Order: sequence, then structure tokens, then C-alpha cells
Amino acid sequence: MSEATPPIPDPVANPIPAAAPKPIVPKPEMSRGDFLWAGWGMLAAFFAASAAAGARFMFPNVIYEPSQKFNAGPAASYDLGVSTKWLNEQRVWIIRTPSGFYAMWARCTHLGCTPNWWGDQNRFKCPCHGSNYTLGGDVIAGPAPMPLWRAKVDLAPTGDLIVDKAVLENKPGKRELAPYFADYAST
Amino acid sequence: MPTLDLEKIKKEIFDSQLWRSVFRGGVWKDTPRDRAGHIIGNVWLHLHPVKVRPRALKWAYTWGMGGISFALYLLLTLTGVALMFYYRPTIGLAYRDIKDLEFAVTLGMFLRNAHRWAAQAMVVAVIAHMVRVFLTGAYKKPREFNWGIGVLLLTLTLFLSFTGYLLPWDQLAIWAVTVGTNMAGATPVLGNEGPLGSLVGMRINNDVRFTLLGGTMVGENTLLRFYVMHCVAVPLVVGILLILHFWRIRKDSFSAAPYAAAEEKVDVWPHLVKREYIGAAGTTLFIMIWSILQNAPLEAIANPNVTTNPSKAPWYFVGLQELLVYFDPWIAGVLLPGLIIVGLIAIPYIDTNPKGIGSYAWKERPFANTLFLLGVVMWFALIFIGYALRGPNYAWYWPWESWYMLKAAPPATWSVFGPKGVGAYPMLLGIPLIGGLFGGSILLPKLIQRELSGKKLMGGFLAAVAALAAVGMAMGKMGATEGAFLLFFLGASFYFGFVLPQRHIRTLDWPRYLVTMVLVVCTMGILLKMCARLTFNIKYLLTIPAISMNV
Repeated sequence: MSEATPPIPDPVANPIPAAAPKPIVPKPEMSRGDFLWAGWGMLAAFFAASAAAGARFMFPNVIYEPSQKFNAGPAASYDLGVSTKWLNEQRVWIIRTPSGFYAMWARCTHLGCTPNWWGDQNRFKCPCHGSNYTLGGDVIAGPAPMPLWRAKVDLAPTGDLIVDKAVLENKPGKRELAPYFADYAST
Repeated sequence: MPTLDLEKIKKEIFDSQLWRSVFRGGVWKDTPRDRAGHIIGNVWLHLHPVKVRPRALKWAYTWGMGGISFALYLLLTLTGVALMFYYRPTIGLAYRDIKDLEFAVTLGMFLRNAHRWAAQAMVVAVIAHMVRVFLTGAYKKPREFNWGIGVLLLTLTLFLSFTGYLLPWDQLAIWAVTVGTNMAGATPVLGNEGPLGSLVGMRINNDVRFTLLGGTMVGENTLLRFYVMHCVAVPLVVGILLILHFWRIRKDSFSAAPYAAAEEKVDVWPHLVKREYIGAAGTTLFIMIWSILQNAPLEAIANPNVTTNPSKAPWYFVGLQELLVYFDPWIAGVLLPGLIIVGLIAIPYIDTNPKGIGSYAWKERPFANTLFLLGVVMWFALIFIGYALRGPNYAWYWPWESWYMLKAAPPATWSVFGPKGVGAYPMLLGIPLIGGLFGGSILLPKLIQRELSGKKLMGGFLAAVAALAAVGMAMGKMGATEGAFLLFFLGASFYFGFVLPQRHIRTLDWPRYLVTMVLVVCTMGILLKMCARLTFNIKYLLTIPAISMNV
């Protein structure tokens, strides 16, 4: 503020110039605070998106895993009952009944260990938490929540059994039918 | 012959420009100022305060377990880096490299032994540290947050062990990791085998198990992922948390115990630092001797199709393995461990008892100490059962029974309440009964606000159970062992789940009371379910298959 009052201008000698057009000042559409909050929001969104992208990175798109399908050899070579022939290589029991075959995936439905077949007790028993299964794969004791899975099994024209562990079934009523059971009446 | 003047040589070394350039400070005169300067002027020591309360020096008070845990962590880092020079994390090479370390590399066997034994010792030390901190009430305000960090560090210590024992690619490795990752696959919502998992579209190739394995089965990607987690990712997180942990100890000061009238702080250099060095040196010596005397176990090379019989986790996880016998994987493997971790972190916020800080005050905090120790004892009792009482096919073998004698096939289990054909009694009856028992057990102790006689209560309850057991035995429904189990489990859950809370926490405010009792009743639930299985061969007390709710 200046202390001295400016002299009053003489309107005749110095006519007041026409008012200059007011400069157009754009009205702020966003306050400073809002702008900062938007910035923080975007930063948070960036971190969230990075976390999501990082999580997605941990899911491989291509995995190199062995085929789940294998040739279990001539059906005629199996005796009645449980065969552990393919356990070590394919983790499958081939079970022959008087009317045909089913292939049981030797993976405990509890937490994925391989049970053992105890023929004299007619039980599959798991060594990790003690689950017991019947010959058909139903849980009879121990913590397993559901029956063992049976794999798709086909009788090829050559007489070989083709087992596919990628196609599984364990519901009573479904698992006893094709393609989880291969009819084979001839002895 | 010139005499050797040691004092002169020492002076020449310490006064040399070289020495002075490395170690700050002037000529050492052992004044309090020098000692303070030694702590402040040294990057490794300056996390310490200059002076500390004398109780920090007492082994009987601190057990030295925090420092020893850290010493073991450093020892593990050193031996681990050494092992990395000879180990390649691929299925074809991993087991061979371990064999080479054992038989073809100079000191390889020794270093692997030291790494394994130090890891197990660290689990013990961290648990002991937690017990000590609990018993001295050292988690109370303002140390609540640091207790929580400690709980996370304990969890990560166990996770480091878990990721570590996959690496040798032996039978223990592959089956422990198979079971561990299948537990992850049973996580509610996030796992393909967990409750609600399939509802939200979880499959074997897109759930949380898939990311852990890097595939649908334990394989090459799994080994690499666990290797990276074990050697880089988890140690990094542990390091960050350790810095926080130490910084908070420094900021919150050593102990909250009330000051004694004549108490005077002592210099950290040399008193505390000396003890730290003694602890670290003793620990190292102990691990070295143990590693010379005893080799680390290595089982047969991993076979992804055939499991060892019986297959047991390393001892610190056998308790969890035993728990998995009684509960579904998502309960035993996800819910209960989660509750333990969250419950431990919650303790300082629940326990508002201002007494019993900085001393082993048994009389001042009977409820907190008893329940905490009960948890620790139960954990180790489960470990004992799994480790010593389980034989082939994970059947129950008493120590005097030979593992060569095959146990008779166990009788078929049954469920009490469930849908038609599954449970012996209807599900719609079981839901209110079991739910009411759970809720009632939580509420009852606070609803009875008068003083009850614990002795009379326990006597009456035990007499009733004994009478019940006698009737059962007379009817031929159970034997003496089952009767003893019944008396033990029911008596324990009645005492710890009702008598103690009724006596000690009935005046606690509702939110804290409810959190405490949920944890207490869940703990008693474990005892009761074990009793139901061991005594009556019950698989589930209540099963609701539609939502995978089996208890």
C-alpha cells in the first residue's frame, strides 16, 4: 500500500481510457487438494496393477509335463485282482474284475501321496495320514474326503489297454461305466 | 637375544595410521566415553544402545535365544552361500549334487550338516525365544507390534525350512512338498480342492497350488521356485523384518519391568557385546560338533510315483501332519495354522493385564501363561504322537509294538451328523447341536458371573465322565484305553475351556473376551475331535458336503 494518495486525474485533460477487456482466467475445475488425492489414487492404482501383474507373472503359460496317456500292454496279460505293474512308472493300478478292467490313479485324495495295496486285507492304505480305501476306491477309514479317482481306460483293437489319467471319475454309478471301465469278458 | 616387547607391538599397531583409519576414535583409555564411542562409532554395533539395564545381561532372564536365533541365521546364510557353489536346482542334477557334496567335495558333508542342523536349531531357538518373551510379558504395550513381527519371523523360519528340504530332491523332499502344496490346493476359494474353489472357477491349472508348483505336478518348475524362494526371496523378507525387529527393540528399550530403586544401567560395551559374542561362538561350536558327529539325513532319490511307508515330515511339521489325520486339509492345513498365527499376533491386544511385565510372574497372569503353554505343549504332544506313535500306513503303534507286525485293517469310520446315508443322525439336527455347543462354550463362562469352586466342578465333571465310561465299558462299547482317552480329553477340555476362563476372564470386556474364547474353544475343539476319532472312530461330528464343511 502506498502512503500518498494519488492525485485525482482531470477527466477533461485526461479522459479515462475505455476499460481493457478482462483477461479470461479459467476457473479451476479441481482444487489443489483434490489434485493431490487424485495423484495418490493413481499411485495406489499403479501399485495395485503392478501387484496384479506380478501375480500373473507367476502363472506360467506353457508347462512341460509328461503325457498322461500310456499303453498298459495286452489286456490278456493281467490276472484277476490288482496289478501294481505300472505303479512305479505311471502311478496307476490296473484292476481286473471277472467282467473287465478299470485303472485307478494311485493318488490319495487326501493330500496326494501314493497308497499301497495290501492284498490280504483287501485295502489300499496311504502311508502319509493313514487313509484306507476298498478295492473299488471308496474311503473306509482315515481322513481322505472322497474316493480314489479312476482313469479312462480303452481296449485298443490290438488288445492293449490304453489308460488316460487326464480323464478321471470317482462318482459311484459313473465310474463303473465306460470310458472308466473296459469290458473284457474273454479269459 | 632381543626380548619380544608385546606391549610395544600392540601400541604400534593400534596407533598406526592404518588402524586409526579403519576404527574411529582416538587412543583407547577404557573410559565410559570410550565405551560409548565404541558403540556409536561402529556401524555393526550402533544398533545397540550405549547403556542397558542390568537385567538384559542375565541369561536366566533372556535365555539369550533372540541373539542365538540371529547367530544361527547368519550361520545359515554363510553355509547356505557355500552350498550354492556346488548345487544346481534341476531334477536331473540336484540329488547328484548333494551326493557330490557329501562324498566328493572337501568339507561338503560338514557344511551340509551344519546347514541342516543350524536350521533345526533355529526353529528351536525361535520357539524358545517366543516362549521366553511370552512368559515375561515382554509383548505388552508398547511392544505389541514387535511381537507381531516376531510371530511373522517364526512363520518365515518354518517356511524357510520347508522350502529348504525340497532342494535335495530325495523322498522326504518330494512327498513333503507334495503334501504341502496339496494343502495349499485345499485353501478355501483360492484352491481347486478347497471349499468354494470350484465355484469361483479354480482348476488344477490356475489356482494357488499351480503358482507354488509352477505346474500341475511337482516338477522342474517347483524345484526352481522353491530354490529361488529359499535362497533369495524369503531371506530378503526375513532380513527386512529383522531390521524392523531390532530397531523396535532399540526404540522401545530393553525391558518394561519397573525400575528397582538402586538399578543403574551398565555399559553395553563390553558387558552385552561380550555376551553376544559368547552366545554366537557357543552356538557355532555346538553346530560344528554336532555336524562332525551326526550327518544330515538324505533319503533315496525322489520317486514321484511311490511314497515311503510311513512317510513323515521333519519333526517340527509332524504335529501338523498328525493334525491332518483328524481334520480336513483346509481346516488342519490352512484354517488352524492361520488361526494360530493370527491368534499369536492378537495376544498383546487382547491381554490388557497390566501386571506381570518383566518377570516370570506365574501368580499374576495365571490364565495367559496356562493357555499359552497349553498351546505349546499340545503342539509338541502332536509332534510326539506323529513322530513316536505312528508306524507303517501311519497306523498307531505303541513304542513296544514292532513295525514288522502289520496292524489289522482299521474298522470303518462313521460320521455322527450328516445327510442321509453319510451321517448316523440327520444333518438338520447336527447343525444346531454342534453350532450350539460351539457358541455356548464361547458364551457360557462369561454368563456365569459368580465365583465357582474349580475343585467341585472338576470333581463332578470327572465323576460323570467316569460313570459314562463305566457304562460304555459294561455295555462293551469301549475298552479301558478308550475309557482313559475319554476321561483325559473331556477332562482337559472342560478344565481349560470352561473352568479356567470362568475363573479368570469372565470380567474381560466383550470384544476381547469373544476373541479369546473363540481361540480357546477352537483349541478345545482339537482335543475333542481327537477324542472322537481315537475313542469312537468318528470321522466327522458334522458333515455338510455341499459346502465342504466337515468337523
